[in-house]
Amino acid sequence: MQERKLAVVDLSRGKVTTRTIPKSWRKGFLGGRGINSYLLYNLIEKGTDPFSPRNALVLGVGLLGGTLAPSSCRFNASALSPETGLLGDSNCGGFFGPELRYAGFDHLILRGRAKRPSYVNIQDGEIEIRDGREYWGMDTYDVQKALRKDLGDVESLVCGVAGENKVRFACLRNGVKNAAGRCGLGAVMGSKNVKAVVASGTDGIKVEHPQEMLELVQDIKNYLMDSKITPILGSMGTPLLYEVSNAIGAIRTKNSQLNAWSDSLNAEELEKYVEKMISCSSCFMHCRHRNTFNGEGPEYTAVGLLGANLGLEDYPDVIKLNNTCNELGLDISSSGSILSWAFELYERGIIDKKLTGQELRFGDSELADELLHKIAGREGFGDVLAESSRAVKKFGPESKDYLIAVKGLPQSDPHDVRYIKAFALGIATASRGADHLRSRPTLEIFFRLPLEVKEKIYGKGITADPTSYEGKERAVCFSDNIFATIDSVGICKFICHGFNSPHFLGYEHFSKLLHAVTGMRYREKELENIGKRIIDTERMFNFKHGMTAKDDTLPKRYFDDPMTMKVSKGHKIDRKSFQKMKKRYYKLRNWDEKGRVKKQRVKEIESYGGLQ
Amino acid sequence: MKYLFYYPDKCTGCKQCAMACSLNKFGECNPKKSAISIVRDEFERYEYAIVCMQCEDAPCIEVCHQGAYYLEDNIIKRNDDQCIHCRLCAAVCPHSAITTIGKEIVKCDLCDGDPECVKYCSTEALVYQEETKEQSERRRQLAKKILSTS
Repeated sequence: MQERKLAVVDLSRGKVTTRTIPKSWRKGFLGGRGINSYLLYNLIEKGTDPFSPRNALVLGVGLLGGTLAPSSCRFNASALSPETGLLGDSNCGGFFGPELRYAGFDHLILRGRAKRPSYVNIQDGEIEIRDGREYWGMDTYDVQKALRKDLGDVESLVCGVAGENKVRFACLRNGVKNAAGRCGLGAVMGSKNVKAVVASGTDGIKVEHPQEMLELVQDIKNYLMDSKITPILGSMGTPLLYEVSNAIGAIRTKNSQLNAWSDSLNAEELEKYVEKMISCSSCFMHCRHRNTFNGEGPEYTAVGLLGANLGLEDYPDVIKLNNTCNELGLDISSSGSILSWAFELYERGIIDKKLTGQELRFGDSELADELLHKIAGREGFGDVLAESSRAVKKFGPESKDYLIAVKGLPQSDPHDVRYIKAFALGIATASRGADHLRSRPTLEIFFRLPLEVKEKIYGKGITADPTSYEGKERAVCFSDNIFATIDSVGICKFICHGFNSPHFLGYEHFSKLLHAVTGMRYREKELENIGKRIIDTERMFNFKHGMTAKDDTLPKRYFDDPMTMKVSKGHKIDRKSFQKMKKRYYKLRNWDEKGRVKKQRVKEIESYGGLQ
Repeated sequence: MKYLFYYPDKCTGCKQCAMACSLNKFGECNPKKSAISIVRDEFERYEYAIVCMQCEDAPCIEVCHQGAYYLEDNIIKRNDDQCIHCRLCAAVCPHSAITTIGKEIVKCDLCDGDPECVKYCSTEALVYQEETKEQSERRRQLAKKILSTS
C-alpha cells in the first residue's frame, strides 16, 4: 500500500511536522472518521475549553478518498465541540477531501492559535501558514472565490463570518453547499484565527490493482444504475425523505408542537427551482440541486428544519434561507432547531421583547433571515441564539423543556422520533448528540417490511413493528457500526446499505474496493469490527470529557407530549420502555451498565499508540 | 466512424471519466493526469469536459517536428519514444486537450477504440458511437423538443 501522510500544524509556533500514517492504524481505524476519532481521544486533554488553543481541529479523508470508488469524496472534520463540549465530528462531501489527498495529506491536525488571521496553504506536499487578514470578514462564497482568484485552481475549506464570531453552530464549508455542518467546527477554526485550509496537488492516489478496480467499479456502477430507486435519488435527492416522514405524521413542525406539515414541500415541488443536478467528486448519483436562487440545495434537513419547523410552506422561502445559512457558514440543522425553539418560547411568553428586542413568530421567512444574519454577526438577540442550546442560561430553566436536542446538540433529523422507537434510540445514543447520520436505521420507516428481511439485516430478536421497543437495539447497533465504517472508507452514505437501500453498498463492496486500492485484505467481519472499535473510541472520548449514561436521553417533549396528527397520533416515548431498551443496547455494545467501555477494551484501543 | 460525443448539459462534474483515464493509463487516480479534463466552477455554475476531438487537420501532427504524432485507424496517436517533451503540441491544440503534467504528456488515443472514460459516465454526457447514429438521435430529440414547445 502506498504510504500516506499526516501533518501536524502548530499555529502558535508556526511549525509543521509530518509523519507517515502507521499501517496498524489503517487496520484498526481505516481512515477519515476512524483515525480522526482515535487522534482526538489521544490529543485533547480533559477539561479543555473548545475555544482554547489546546483544542485540535482534525481533518481526515477516508481511505478510499479521491479514487474511482463511487462517491469516494468524503472527509471528516473533528474537534472537541463548542456546541456540546463532547465529540465534535462532521462528515463532508464535495471536492476538498480528494484535493487534500492529491496535495499529499490524508490527515491534518491544526493545533494552537495563530497570532493573526491566517490561512493554511497546502500545495504538492508543502504546508505553509500564511497571512489571511485580507480574507477575514468575508462570507463563505467570497473567500473561496478570492482564494481561487489569488491562488488558482484550489479547493478550500473555510469558515464564514459565523465561524469567525465563534457561533457555536458555525460550520466548515467547501464549494457552494458542502458542509462539515454539525457540532460547531467552523467556530473551532475561527477560534484558531484560521479562515481557510487551502489544498491543491498534482499527486494521484496510487492504486495497487488498477485493472481489478476498473472492472469492480464498472460492475458497481452498472449495479447501482440498474436499481429502481437510483433515478429517483438522482432527480429528487434527499428531499424525497420529507414526504416519506410527513406521510406518517413524523415531520417536526413548529418545534415539534405539530407532527405533520404541507405537501407543498414534497420533493417534486422543488423541481421548479432546479437548474441542474450536479455531483460531488466520483459520484454517479448526482443528488445535489443547483437551484435557481444562485445557490445549491436544499437537502432534506433544510426542507424540514427551515421549512416545516419554522412554519414555512413555500420552497422559495426555504431555498433562500438555505442559501443564507450556506453563505454565512451556519449549520442548517442547528439554525432551524434553535430558531423554532425561540419562536415557541416567545409564543408561550417564556421569553419576551426585553430579551429578543422584537416580536418572534413562526411563518415569517424575512424574520428568520434577519435572525440568521444577527446570529452570524452575534448582534443583539443573535448573540444569545449563537450560543445554541446553552441559551438556556439566558432563557431560564423552563425553556429546556421545549428544546429539541440531545447532549446539547439540536436534532438534525427533521423526523419526529416519537413514533419509530429505533430512531429514538439512535438519536439518544449517537456519539455526537441528536443526529441521524450516525445510526438512523432507515428501514424501520417501512412498516410493512417482512420480519425475515429485518432479521436478515439486524439479527434475530428485532421486531417488525416500528412502534415496538423490542429488539430495536439491534437495528441501532448495526447502523452505528456500518455508518462508522462508511465514514472511514470515505464513501457517501447515500449509496450505502444501512442509510439507504439494503441492496446498496455494504461491507462486501468496501472489502473489494479496499483490496483493489490498498492491496490490503479486510474481511467483511473485520470491517464491522472496525466500526465497533470507532464507536467505542468515540464513547471513550465522550466519557473522558464528562459524559455519563444520563446524557443518552431524549428531549422532554418526546417523553411527555403525545403526537397529535396522522398515523403517529397518540405516540410518545415511554420512559421505562426507553430505559430498558437503552440497557439492552449497552449490553449489545458490550458496555457496562453505566454505559462505559469496559477496561479490557479501553486497553486494547489505547494500544494502537499515540502520535509520538 | 465512431466519435466521442460530449453533452455539457448532462455532465454533473463528477470527474469519474478523468479518474478512470488516469487509472487506466497510469495506475493511479488523478483527475489532473488524464487525457480528459473536467473544468468546473460551482460558483460560476458550470462544468465542462475537455478532450481531444481527433481533428482531421490536426495541429498537433503538423506542429510536431519530431514526428511523434501519427494517424492510425482514424485515431491520432502519440509515440512517447519520439517525443522530446517540448510541449508545443499542447500549446497549439485548439481545444487545450493535451495534458502536460510533471514528466507526462497525455493525449486521448480513445483506448484503441474502446475508451474507458465513457464506461464510468452515469448520465451519458460522454458517449462513444457512430456519428450517423448520434446525429439521428440528436435530431430526433430536437424535433421532439421543437414540436412539443411550438
